[in-house]
Amino acid sequence: MTLLDVALAVAGLLAVAGGVAVVSTKQLVRAGLWLVVALGAVAVEFLLLGAEFAAWVQVLIYVGAVVVLLLFAVMLTRAPIGPSPDLDRPLLPALLVGAAAGLGLAGLFAAAFGRLTVPAPGAGTAQKLGTAIFDDWVLPFEVLSVLLLAALVGAIVLSRRESTR
Amino acid sequence: MTWEIVLRVALVAVAFLTLPLLVGQTEHKVMAHMQARLGPMYAGAFHGWAQLIADGVKFAQKEDLTPREADGPVFRLAPAVALLPYLLVLLVIPLGPGDLVGQPLDVGLFFVLAIVGVGVVAVLMAAWASANKYALIGGLRAAAQLLGYELPFVLAAASVAMAAGSLSLPQIVASWRPWWLLWQLPAMLVFFVAGLAEIRRPPFDMPIADSELVFGYLTEYTGLRFAFFLLAEYVGIVVISALTAALFLGGWHGPWADSVGWLWMLLKTALVAFVVIWLRVAWPRLREDQLQRLCWLILVPVALAQLILTAAVRVALQ
Amino acid sequence: MSIPGAGLGKGLAVTLKTLVSPSITQQYPDVAPELPPRSRGVIALREENCTVCMLCSRECPDWCIYIDSHKEEVVVPGAARPRQRNVLDRFDIDFSLCMYCGICIEVCPFDALYWSPEFEYAEYDIRDLLHDKDRLGEWMATVPPPPPHDPNGEPSKEETAVAKRAGTA
Repeated sequence: MTLLDVALAVAGLLAVAGGVAVVSTKQLVRAGLWLVVALGAVAVEFLLLGAEFAAWVQVLIYVGAVVVLLLFAVMLTRAPIGPSPDLDRPLLPALLVGAAAGLGLAGLFAAAFGRLTVPAPGAGTAQKLGTAIFDDWVLPFEVLSVLLLAALVGAIVLSRRESTR
Repeated sequence: MTWEIVLRVALVAVAFLTLPLLVGQTEHKVMAHMQARLGPMYAGAFHGWAQLIADGVKFAQKEDLTPREADGPVFRLAPAVALLPYLLVLLVIPLGPGDLVGQPLDVGLFFVLAIVGVGVVAVLMAAWASANKYALIGGLRAAAQLLGYELPFVLAAASVAMAAGSLSLPQIVASWRPWWLLWQLPAMLVFFVAGLAEIRRPPFDMPIADSELVFGYLTEYTGLRFAFFLLAEYVGIVVISALTAALFLGGWHGPWADSVGWLWMLLKTALVAFVVIWLRVAWPRLREDQLQRLCWLILVPVALAQLILTAAVRVALQ
Repeated sequence: MSIPGAGLGKGLAVTLKTLVSPSITQQYPDVAPELPPRSRGVIALREENCTVCMLCSRECPDWCIYIDSHKEEVVVPGAARPRQRNVLDRFDIDFSLCMYCGICIEVCPFDALYWSPEFEYAEYDIRDLLHDKDRLGEWMATVPPPPPHDPNGEPSKEETAVAKRAGTA
């Protein structure tokens, strides 16, 4: 039990608590803000594990862009202060599915990697990450970028108004 | 070792508390003289040097109001969330050659871009929690503006990172050469303009727009919490100026850089901060559609073209 | 304005020029302001010149001049009858009503009223703005001398009148 372990555990608990708060709060916008807490805690986990670059990507993309976009959309449509009474939250099935998924994944990981020791890969610098992406994983990277490009083109096509005719 | 870290963080905290006040006072004075006025003259006897301290005392005396319909915790938390990212950013900006930086970070530039982006969350929190329609409109404008301008901001910074072959701010400054001024000029302009929009300074103050939205997302704030937002704005000026100076103007480079490098960095930062103030006085506010048009139709293409140019020159040089 | 962005540059140039030129602010309570010679600060009264003709009081648009007087007999040696003379008892101007139009000064046929640049006579009570002839007389000391005659302008009426009389005589 080192200080790192404690910090990891605390960040993990924070992430889980934030996640629970996201799905349990009755206030729509606050759910988005709890998401910031959960994702930020995940970023802290990355940071503690030495994956500095991934941590800041997490902050830039998820906290700085995705959550903001989400909040933006919520505020544009409806953003009541105080609880929303009409949230569709079936408690029992959600609990079942959530617990099953969480416990199942935990069990799976514990069984698969519980006894395994891997040498620490060292700090995840930008250079290492770049080398890895553009040497070993260049094909998946390119495929992914084509996928993203296709999604982008699709979004533009869908949002264009039919005004040319 | 720990002593050194404590000392560095303390020095950054001192800079965090003094530089914004310096910029604020300069703004008072420069703006006044640009409008043929004198500006504050009384506080502190000599040319009103203590005006901002007096303002701080005034803010501290005001009642801490939270509107009845507001979402209290979020409303009260927002100013801190607005202020904190800039404090963290100041940690990694190099002041002088070698080790003269709060905390040298391998991915410093990326860290800066990520953390500055978090400021949007504070704006949205303040806007929504105020339970005020002006605040909400201001917040939506701010979110649209910050999301849009984040892209050219990051792209322009990426260009200089590519040119230097590093994401670490001290290393970028170290590998800077005077001819980069010309080579990276479009990126510098894009970065500066997008940075202005990021800190919502005039002419990009559409989210605050005091003539139409009362005071945008700050409408319901008073006292110390309002002062925090103001402080965040001025730290923002310091951060954007220092980043522009470090990335594009060569930071501590200059004659006798080994001994007075930090002075060069401060001078360049002050120069950019002056330009920020100057633009506020000289230019009118952009309309919302002009604002988005400038971002998507001018800044983003220019930044992309600069990326291609940077890559081409880099490949040609190797 | 053919070059795009020329207006932006102009804005920058104007503000920079203003920055380096001295500002026009006058630091009033510390430094006395430099007022132009025809400043309309307060109305001063030269009591000796007043003949109680009441023109000022009647022409005043908001009736803020109050005049009381009585007649006195002046025995002139050698004259057949004693002359009558108006003596001013009261000459008050209510500066809470006065709108500084200056009509009273214009109509005064005997130059008894003057503009004084003195402006620091604020009071805490509106009733204290009613000033009597002694107070109005004190302000005579602050009336600036009339500006010299414009050398290129027309000669004054008095001069032409004198010249005409001399010519006809």
